[in-house]
Order: sequence, then C-alpha cells, then structure tokens
Amino acid sequence: MRFTKGLIFLFPAMALLGVFSACKKVGLDEADIAGHSAEYAFPLMNTTLTLKDLMFKVLNDTLSGDTIVVNPDNTMTLYYSGDVAEKPATDIFAFFEFPPNAPPIPIPDTIYKYPLTVPDSVYIKRADVLTGELTVIIINKLQEPITGIFSIPQMSKNGQVFKWPFTVPADTNIFSPVLYLDGHNLLSDSNTLQFRYEAYLPNGDRVKLPEPFPGFPAVGLSLQKFTLSYVEGYWGFSEYPLTRDTIDIDINQTSLKGNVKVKDPKVTMTVSNSWGFPTRGVVKYLSFLGKDGNEYKLESTVFNGDSIDFEYPSWAAGEVGQTKYTHIVLDGTNSNIADIFNAQPVRLIYEVAGISNAKRDPTITGFLTNESTIALSMNVELVLEGSAQDFGAEQTLDLNFGDYTDIDTTKIEEVEFKLVTENTTPISSALQLYFQDENGVAVDSLFRGEPQFIMDAAPVDANGNATGSKRTETFVQMDIERFDRVRKAKKIFLQTYFTTANGGLVPVKLLATQQATIKMGLKVKTKIF
Amino acid sequence: MSNRFFITALAIMAAANILCAQQELMLHQQSQLWHATAANPAFVFPDKKIAIGLPSFGLDAAHSGDITYNDLFREEGGRTVIDPSQAIGKLEPDNEIFYDQRFELLSLGVRLPGDVFLQAGFATRINATVDYPKSLAELFWYGNAPYIGQTLEVGFATNTFEWHELSFGLAHRFNKALTFGGRAKFLSGISALQTDENRNYLGVYTDPDIYQLSLQSDYAFYSSRTISAIDTSGLGFELVQNQFKNGFSANTGWAFDLGAQLNVGRNLTLAASVLDLGGSIKWKKNSNYFQSKGTFEYNGVEIPGTDIINGTTDSLDFTAALDSLNDVLQFQKSAAEFSSELPTRIYVGGTLKLTQRWSVGAVVHHQYSERRSATSVGVNAQWSPLKWLSLGAMYSVNDQSAANLGFNLILKPGPVQLFILSDNALNAAAPYGSPAVNFRFGGAVVF
Repeated sequence: MRFTKGLIFLFPAMALLGVFSACKKVGLDEADIAGHSAEYAFPLMNTTLTLKDLMFKVLNDTLSGDTIVVNPDNTMTLYYSGDVAEKPATDIFAFFEFPPNAPPIPIPDTIYKYPLTVPDSVYIKRADVLTGELTVIIINKLQEPITGIFSIPQMSKNGQVFKWPFTVPADTNIFSPVLYLDGHNLLSDSNTLQFRYEAYLPNGDRVKLPEPFPGFPAVGLSLQKFTLSYVEGYWGFSEYPLTRDTIDIDINQTSLKGNVKVKDPKVTMTVSNSWGFPTRGVVKYLSFLGKDGNEYKLESTVFNGDSIDFEYPSWAAGEVGQTKYTHIVLDGTNSNIADIFNAQPVRLIYEVAGISNAKRDPTITGFLTNESTIALSMNVELVLEGSAQDFGAEQTLDLNFGDYTDIDTTKIEEVEFKLVTENTTPISSALQLYFQDENGVAVDSLFRGEPQFIMDAAPVDANGNATGSKRTETFVQMDIERFDRVRKAKKIFLQTYFTTANGGLVPVKLLATQQATIKMGLKVKTKIF
Repeated sequence: MSNRFFITALAIMAAANILCAQQELMLHQQSQLWHATAANPAFVFPDKKIAIGLPSFGLDAAHSGDITYNDLFREEGGRTVIDPSQAIGKLEPDNEIFYDQRFELLSLGVRLPGDVFLQAGFATRINATVDYPKSLAELFWYGNAPYIGQTLEVGFATNTFEWHELSFGLAHRFNKALTFGGRAKFLSGISALQTDENRNYLGVYTDPDIYQLSLQSDYAFYSSRTISAIDTSGLGFELVQNQFKNGFSANTGWAFDLGAQLNVGRNLTLAASVLDLGGSIKWKKNSNYFQSKGTFEYNGVEIPGTDIINGTTDSLDFTAALDSLNDVLQFQKSAAEFSSELPTRIYVGGTLKLTQRWSVGAVVHHQYSERRSATSVGVNAQWSPLKWLSLGAMYSVNDQSAANLGFNLILKPGPVQLFILSDNALNAAAPYGSPAVNFRFGGAVVF
C-alpha cells in the first residue's frame, strides 16, 4: 500500500519527465552553419602625393645645394647649382712673398733696391701694408760705436717716411725691436723697394759697415707676417684658371625611364667680381652629358667665340671695394639647350678660365684689395613645364598583409581590388605591381600582361594648365588561387609610367598645389560550407 | 562582430519563433487543475485538503510575420544546420519577438478550517521582447558589400530578464459562492538585458568610393549578469558573460496577484484576476550600463604621401589597420542600477456547466507593458467522457491571428492530475512550421 502511494508521485513525475525529454533540443554550439556566400567590402589604403613633395624628394636625394622654388603662380622651378668657384686674388696673384722663417734679407750697401716678387705682367704702383713685422739686424765689427738711421724711403705712414735710428756699440751685434709696418704705404714704379741706412762714427764720419765675413753684409732685415690691403698698378695680359666643375641634373638621374621634354630650360652663369682690372672669362669646356652617354656641347651666341668679358670695378671710376656682377643666361633663344634637354642630360660639365687685360690696354690702372675675389656660379634652371611619355619609375617595397596572411582561403571565393585615383596633375600613370616572395621572385602581378592606366591626367587648357580633377576607377578581380599567392607576398615591385596630358604631346605646367590621391579598397566574397 | 555570435543570436530568436503566443487562455478555463491557480489565485479546491503541484512548464512565444523554425533550421546528414537565408527573406523591415517562459518547479496548497486556503510555490520565469531590423540579419549573413552606398540601421532593442519567483498566497471562500484570493510574489532577478529605449541607433555605411566604413552609434543597454564585458580584441566582438549567477541576490522585487471566483447558481462560474500587479525587479547587483556613442570611420591605412616619397616608409603593412577596427564601437561600461517591469496580465472569464460531461466557457485576456500590449479572446468547450479523462477545445482571437484552435488533455487518475494544453493546437503539434507556439504541461497531486 505504501508502495502504491509512492507510485502516486512517481507516475506523474515520470510522465512529466517523458514530456520534457520529448522536447526538441537544438544544440546551437554543435549546429552547422549552412553554406552560403557573403561579401565584405572594406578600404585598404589611401595616400596623397603632392608634386611639391615629389620634386623636393627628387632634389634632396643628392645635392644639398639644389633648390626648388615655388613661384607666386605656384609653378615650380628647379635650380641645380654647381659649386661656387670663388677665387681670392691671393690665389692668383702673389705679391711680396716673405715666407715665415725665411733668412733675413741682406742689405749689402747703404742704399739697396730690393726686387719685389710680383706676378708676371703686373707692375705695382702702390701697395698698402695691412700687417708686417720688421726686424733690422746690424753687425758692428768696428772698434768704435756707431750711430745711424735705417729707412725705407718709398714707405711712409701719414706722410712720414719709415725710419729707425740705431746705436751699436763697438764690436757688437744688435737686433732692432719689432717694427710694425701696419698702415704704411709703399710707392713703387719699378717693382723694387729701396732700403737705406746711414751709419756714423763718433767723430761724425759716415761709414759703410764692413762685412763681418767675406760676402756677408753687416746689415739685414727680417720681414714677418707681411700682408697687403691694397695693391694698385698695371695688369697686363695673363691667363689663369678659374673653375672646373660638374652639375648633376637629378631629375634625369632617377631610375625613371622614358621620354621627357622640359620646356625652356636655362643655364645661368653668375660672376661676382671685385677684382679691379678687366677680366675675360674663357669657356674652356661647357657640355652636357646625356642619359645616352653622349656629350652634347652647349653652344650659345652669348659668348664671343668662347669668351665673355666680366664686369669689374674700375679704379678710374673710384669703384675700389665694389663688386660687379655679370649674368649670363643660356636659353632656347640664344643656345641649343632646348635640344640638349630632349636627350635628358644627367650632368653639366664646365671649365672656365680667366684672362686679365685681354685687350692689353696699357692705360688701365688696376687694383686688388685683400678682399678682392672673383666668384663664378653656374646653375641649371628648369621650370616644371614640359611633357612626358612613358616616363617610368621603379620601386620595391616590403609588403605585409598582416592578418590577411593567415586567412583560411578555403572560405574565400574571390577578391576584387578597387583602385581609385583622384588626380589634379596633368599627368597620367600606368601601373604594374609584381608581387614577390622573400627572395624577390615574382609570384604574381596585379594586372595580366602589360601595365594598365590607373590614373588619367587632369584636363588641361591650351596653356597646359590643369583645369580640374580626374577620377579613375580600376577593378582587379582575383580568383582565390591568385589571391592566395598575393597575400603571402613579402615584397612588391612597382613599375609606374607617367605620361602628361594629351598623350604627352603638349607641354603642361606642374604646380606645387597639384596632387594625386591613390586609394584602394577590397571586396572579399566568402563561401561557407 | 563574429559570424558565430550573430548566428547564435539569430538562432535564439528563431528558437522563439517556434513558440506560441496566446497567454494561456486555456489554463484560466481549467479551474479543475491545481496549476490553474497560476492564472487566478482564487482557484482553490474546496473539497480537497492538500494540493501538491509538480513541475509545470509553460511557454508562450511568437515572432512577428510568418517566420518559422523550419525557415531557420534544417536537418542535413543527421545534423542540425542553421540557414537563415530563407528566414531573412521572410523578415519584415522591423521584427518583434516575444518570449515568455514559466517553469513552476513546486507548489503547495493547504485548506485550513473556515474555507481558508494557503498556497505557496516556486517558479523560474523568463520574459523577453526583442525588436530587431531585417538589416541586422542581412548585414551579418550577406556581408556589407551588397549594401554599398546604403546606411544599414542595425540597432536592436530588447527587454529580457529572468527571475526566480517565491510566492505565498491566501484565499477565502465566502458563503460557498464567492472566493477571493491574493498572492504575494518575491522576485529575485537572475539576469537581465535591457536596451535604452532612447539610445538604440547603430548605423553602418559602406562608402561606394573604396568601401570606407562609417559606423554611427548612439546605443546603450543595461545588463546584469547577461553581459559583463564586451571584448573587441582581435577581430571579434565577443560578449563576456558573468561566470556567477545572481541566484537569490540583491536584485529583488515584488509582484502581486489578485483573483476572484463567483459561483452563480450551480452551473455558472465567473472569474477574474490580475497577475503580476506592480511587478518590478530592481537590479542592483552585477548591473552595468554599456554605452557607445560617436561616429567611427575607417578609411584604410593612411600612408602619408611624404613618407612614400621620402622613403620613410618602405612597406605596406595592413596589420595595424586591422587592429584599429578594435576601436570601433568601444562600449563604455559603468555601474548603474535599473529596473525591469513585469507585464501585468488580466483575465476575465466564465464557465457554464451544461451537463455532467459538457461545459462551455469564454475568457478575455489582456496584457500590457511598456513595450508590448496584447488582448486575446477565446471561447471553449470541455468534455469529460470519463471521470479521469477530460478533453477540451478553444477558439480564440488575438492580435496576430483570428483562427486559433486550442486543445487540452487532462488526465486525473485518482489524486493525480496530468495535463497538456495549448491555445493553438496546430502550432503546438507542428511547432517547427509555425510562427508562434503556446503550450503548458504539468502535473499535480491533490488529496
């Protein structure tokens, strides 16, 4: 009976349990997801390249002296500069050389004309001493003391001729104190300098001091730290080297390939001259080295034959201390430079010499100061206006697809890259990307076959000015086999070819404000089974 | 958000789709069952001393439209396969899921002298409403590519909470004719997820340009236990659940049931009840507020042009770009209290006993809450061919359908009561092909 009562509870409990167990259970964690296709789209990258940045990069790659100037109208001018060849007068013209520690200058007589060292064809009329330390040496072998005066009659200061009185005891040698010559003027008409001494015995008799040894004068002098601040005289005909240098034309030295025409290239030569006598520049060598390895001589009507006279400060006009400038511009109107630039020159080589008083005019008085220099600078000036056809560049970048590398591609059906360019430059671009493994071996390419145009040039007006922006969309589909190779690539080899608007047939202007935006998105179509 | 997460979420929604939505009209009309006290605390057994309620399970759920379980699940090689393709095609632009589950584990009734009846019980309940846009399902099943150039609004709203219910009630019969009953229910919250009604916008836009992604969010929700953190590390969007249930915790509240039954003569019985009156749970423990507000745009890897030109970058690296997706939809978490309001239900019905074996009845049910309000009306007939066997049928009309045919089977061998009933028998019999299902079954022993 007790068992029966127990069944009263057990029966409904069992019945309810049965009903519960009959309920359908869906184990969602264990359930499979039905096969289907889904497609996801997301952006990959974007970048904006400005012409200004690009040109600065081209310039800054090598020569620090090169500059790019953004003109007020936003056009850009490239300046390629050679080293400034600055020649101080002392490099060419050496006057009155008294080397340090040189032996004293012997004065064999009471009056002695010392021959000055001057450049050939130069006759000194006046020289102003900037610095100089003079020491007079007197050897008295007499048994009496002597007194006297040492003088340089051609040298004076404030109207006073240089003099030094002396007294030498019997059988004695003396050295004068250091006599400073700063501020003295030398006057000469024969490139000689006269030294004089007067010596007297105690009884008043003038004497010439005897040689202490045969052939060894009893008087001498030492001149140290002798420099001039001004030299005036006559400069005759004389040729001397000025400079030899090269200028690299970077824009043509990149790995870019193709045909580029630059409109209105210029070579400018600027001479700054403070030499006070006529100087003629002689162009010994002025040639471009083309990308093809050939030499192209730059010829111009600006030169008189192969030379040109530089401006100079005139003594007669009282222009001492001034600097005169000579500007020479070689462009398409007076030279063959435009034709030369069609060959994409990579280097300008030039050599210039100088000729003083080329006209051999004996009436010209010239001068030099201790600061006189002649400086010559050569520039290549390119306004970024021109045309290009298939102007190509190559670059290798490392590539990392990040998490895409580990994607289970069995779940991917295909991918589609979308490449968008928004271009305000008058330049179009064709592109090919080669995906490479870690060893640089190409595993695939973005496009089948040849590079494809992915960026159309902005429209241009009749003057070559870009008038708007051009958007170009390019779709690249890849099946999973290709994408599987591409996503594991470690490097990307990029080939680009630039062509200016209208097929590169008309010159266009490149402005600093022009830019190209390059963007890429990706669609991934997945399949889930 | 990972596919797995979305599939799971969609599957949960679809699981609700197989269930019905009649709010137990049939149960209210079976006052002969002890478990009918769940619908009216005035339903007592004047001729019995003790009633022991064994487990009873009731489910009442619906999905808007005509989406069914079979639209989402199918069997393939002995395995369940989730395939939302067909279900998505049937979705409306805006969809609603309602889900109400009751699991009454144990209940007890005792008749005291003076026609006073005591009752107590323990149950676990779930109440959920989810409003979601079709675009949410489309986005995660088909991806964003088919919707380039469109703004997909994918924010969904929900008020879902689960709680324990410990009830104590008292009923008294006056003059053998009128019975009043009342029941107090102590509520202990288990978990809750409640979106902020004023902040449930999530917009996804894929730009036709190069598919730049733009996500706009002004989305916030409260959670207790359901979600403790949102982990957006890696490429996933994982919901981190609390490892500890709240159980009987500080998340508490009260609800009250009131009911009345009037015997008019020997054959007519009228009844009315109000359930879950003032029901509310205050969530204080493990309760947080998650919010995301802002516009998140992803344009791909930004490579400065000068870096390329100057060679300061010599590689194209997409790793960082993918990581940056983690920044999208960063939810800010802060501790916050909130409350869940139980839907209030009202029953009014009557039963007329025609013969010893036949009776007929009618019932009206109304439920209202902040998110959802529904009314249903039914008429029923009950046939008791044997003393221990009773069969019943009901025709009812509700907001979704005017053709619901309910059925019940009651077995009463001796003191035992076993029952299974549904307000929509066709759906209950073939739930996988129905957009809504309602049923309850259970048992009791009465002495």
